[in-house]
Amino acid sequence: QTHFVFHSLQAKMSRPVQARRLEGIDKNIWVEFVKLAATYSKVNLGQGFPDFPAPDFLREALTRALSGGNHMLHQYTRAFGHPPLVKILAQFFEKLLGRDLDPMTNVMVTVGAYQALFCCFQALVDEGDEVIIIEPFFDCYEPMVKMAGGTPVFVPLRPNPPKDGKLMSSADWQLDPAELASKFSERTKAIVLNSPNNPLGKVFSRGELGLIAELCVKHDVLCISDEVYEWLVYDGKQHIRIASLQGMWERTVIIGSAGKTFSATGWKVGWVVGPDRLLQHLRTVHQNSVYHCATIAQEAVAQGFQRELMLYGKPESYFVQLPKELQQKRDWLVQSLDGVGMKPIIPEGTYFLVADISPFKSDVPDVPNSDEPYDSRFAKWMVKNKGLAAIPLSAFYSEAHKNNYTNFIRFCFAKEEATLKAASDILQKWKQEKTSS
Amino acid sequence: VEFTKVAADPSIVNLGQGLPDISPPSYVKEELAKVAAVDRLNQYTRGFGHPSLVKALSEVYEKVCGRKIDPLTDILVTVGAYGSLFSTIQALIEEGDEVIIIEPFYDCYEPMVKMAGAKPVFIPLRCVSNFLEITNFITFLIHNALNTVINVFFFTFPVSQVFTLEELQVIADLCIKHDTLCISDEVYEWLVYKGNKHIKIATLPGMWERTVTIGSAGKTYSVTGWKLGWSIGPEHLIKHLQVVHQNTLYTCPTPLQEALAQAFWMDYKRMDDPDCYFYSLSRELESKRDRMAQLLKGAGLKPVIPEGGYFMIVDVSTLNVDLFEVDEKQPYDYKFVKWMIASKKLSAIPLSAFCALGTKKQFEKYIRFCFIKKDSTLDAAEVILKNWNKQTD
Repeated sequence: QTHFVFHSLQAKMSRPVQARRLEGIDKNIWVEFVKLAATYSKVNLGQGFPDFPAPDFLREALTRALSGGNHMLHQYTRAFGHPPLVKILAQFFEKLLGRDLDPMTNVMVTVGAYQALFCCFQALVDEGDEVIIIEPFFDCYEPMVKMAGGTPVFVPLRPNPPKDGKLMSSADWQLDPAELASKFSERTKAIVLNSPNNPLGKVFSRGELGLIAELCVKHDVLCISDEVYEWLVYDGKQHIRIASLQGMWERTVIIGSAGKTFSATGWKVGWVVGPDRLLQHLRTVHQNSVYHCATIAQEAVAQGFQRELMLYGKPESYFVQLPKELQQKRDWLVQSLDGVGMKPIIPEGTYFLVADISPFKSDVPDVPNSDEPYDSRFAKWMVKNKGLAAIPLSAFYSEAHKNNYTNFIRFCFAKEEATLKAASDILQKWKQEKTSS
Repeated sequence: VEFTKVAADPSIVNLGQGLPDISPPSYVKEELAKVAAVDRLNQYTRGFGHPSLVKALSEVYEKVCGRKIDPLTDILVTVGAYGSLFSTIQALIEEGDEVIIIEPFYDCYEPMVKMAGAKPVFIPLRCVSNFLEITNFITFLIHNALNTVINVFFFTFPVSQVFTLEELQVIADLCIKHDTLCISDEVYEWLVYKGNKHIKIATLPGMWERTVTIGSAGKTYSVTGWKLGWSIGPEHLIKHLQVVHQNTLYTCPTPLQEALAQAFWMDYKRMDDPDCYFYSLSRELESKRDRMAQLLKGAGLKPVIPEGGYFMIVDVSTLNVDLFEVDEKQPYDYKFVKWMIASKKLSAIPLSAFCALGTKKQFEKYIRFCFIKKDSTLDAAEVILKNWNKQTD
């Protein structure tokens, strides 16, 4: 018996303690860059969160909930979503999608949109399944697909710069229809759509969505639609929900975020909306991973939505005011960057913009055969030496394509005027140093 | 999930689901109110745990464990202890592994272990004699030495037995001998009653490096709806939990973590004082426990007096309620609870809900009551229990 125990111990000791599903997903750009920003940055335009306050009505909702005397708000609520919240979400999305929704089966609340994504991949993707991801993409899609045992298949948005030398718009980054079609195989289980898109700010047009929808229907593929920035669209553009297109409701899971909707990223309240036949599986994952989400945050978000439902379409609606404010900030940052020679790609939506930093490359010499993509080294140098934090575009590309674009970095402009001004000052000073040297 | 729906009826006295209907301490609620006014606390914080919270946790647990705990590498804050269990299991367990689970167990352990592709190996406790079936344990371990991870649950939820040092030593010795990991769910760590002491298995020699200890704000501060928990352990294990966390939900809510940190600081400062909430709550619950036990005995039921936690299991076979005509396939305790809810307007949870399929029959004469309830709830339960025998047919 001792002999057996000895051998089995040997086998155990040689095997890594962690599970295989963690292979290749241990690196995380945010852990690294958030630390750098915390250590060095004077002006943080990196991680995507507003530095202006969440709206008063939301904070008041939380205060009301706390002072209301209902101390059961500090205890567990319904696992799949606090009833007041799922009810108002159903009402809201019924309006937006033009179809009846059951709050108990067509809506589920999650710990941020991040956990909604996790539930989607765990519930719907299996070993051997392929999942199409459009590049550039919010970086978590790839490791989440892998953790579920799936294979990510990438298809790029390609820049078609305007011929008149004007600044590029995120609309100029497009999918090649033939290329997209070629990515669908019999192993394709799902496609991840993120519109408005992080990091480019692209708002997919009806035509582009129609193309994707056609392919989904033709190949019987699911659509995981990350619409967290749904309210942040500019220049009178419209956010079109792919689930409202022909044949798409039954195969789409829509993901939303209170953090982005109400500028309260730290509350970590998100949701999924979709047909019961898909959501039932997300519920299974949810009840075996977190089970419940924090009650009081859900209560306050529900009240926030009540207010917005009443004010829907009116000028006082937060969903009208916020994009208006952010559009101004966008335009301001676009001007600042263009003014110093960094060429911004004007985003149609989200609160991010990507800019070409080529004129500043001389400050950060290229290191041939480096493991790290150039833009990442540039962004790190910039935060350490200029105190300005931003995120390299390569963070939003798969390993194989990280060096496709070397000169772009992403800025977040959901910031107070003072912050944007301070960023501009840093850039101006930097430019002056370059021209005078 | 099944029983939550049944007991949502306000006319029913709910002693089923394990949630307090008492108020959390006022300073905890006040801290959250204060936090809501601070702008930056409404935005993302550090993924693996809000800095002030992990710092507070490290100080409290350093005092308890008598060893240095690094707040950044040895702690992960999760969405409730539930989230910690999930992160730990996903991080360290995989296809082909075996995980020992002591029965009765908190019902999520089994599906979580299966979801990770591993095989749960059950070892039932003998409720009657209240001690660990030690010989069984050794046999299981020797046969399953390869790739085994032990799940050890203090308070043997829901039996609420507090393991003695000797019992923990047996488990520890086996873990070390067979080089197994230990996942120690200690959410009820502060709720220990007179004559008992909660000992952290991670503090036994040779155990720190192989143990992940899980805690819960919900159970510590009676705020189950805050859904904050934590995993504490050596860096070489916690770092893998952090990888799971960054790929599942990334970060936990900021305002709740900050408020919790402030509450912890307040109690940390008075950890040598009997008024510390960690001790005052268990005193409050001990009297509720004793009251509950009296009432149940008075109704002819046979409670198993818990040494810790806020659950009490009760032998209902003494009543001999005939439920033969009801759906036979269901274990007796399920049928009893449904009958009790319908005819007595009192709810509980059947103990076999916390047992694997094969063992359900062994525990089907027990049901579980939760006694972390306010006086008016217990008063209402008292009325039902006092009148019980008058209505039994």
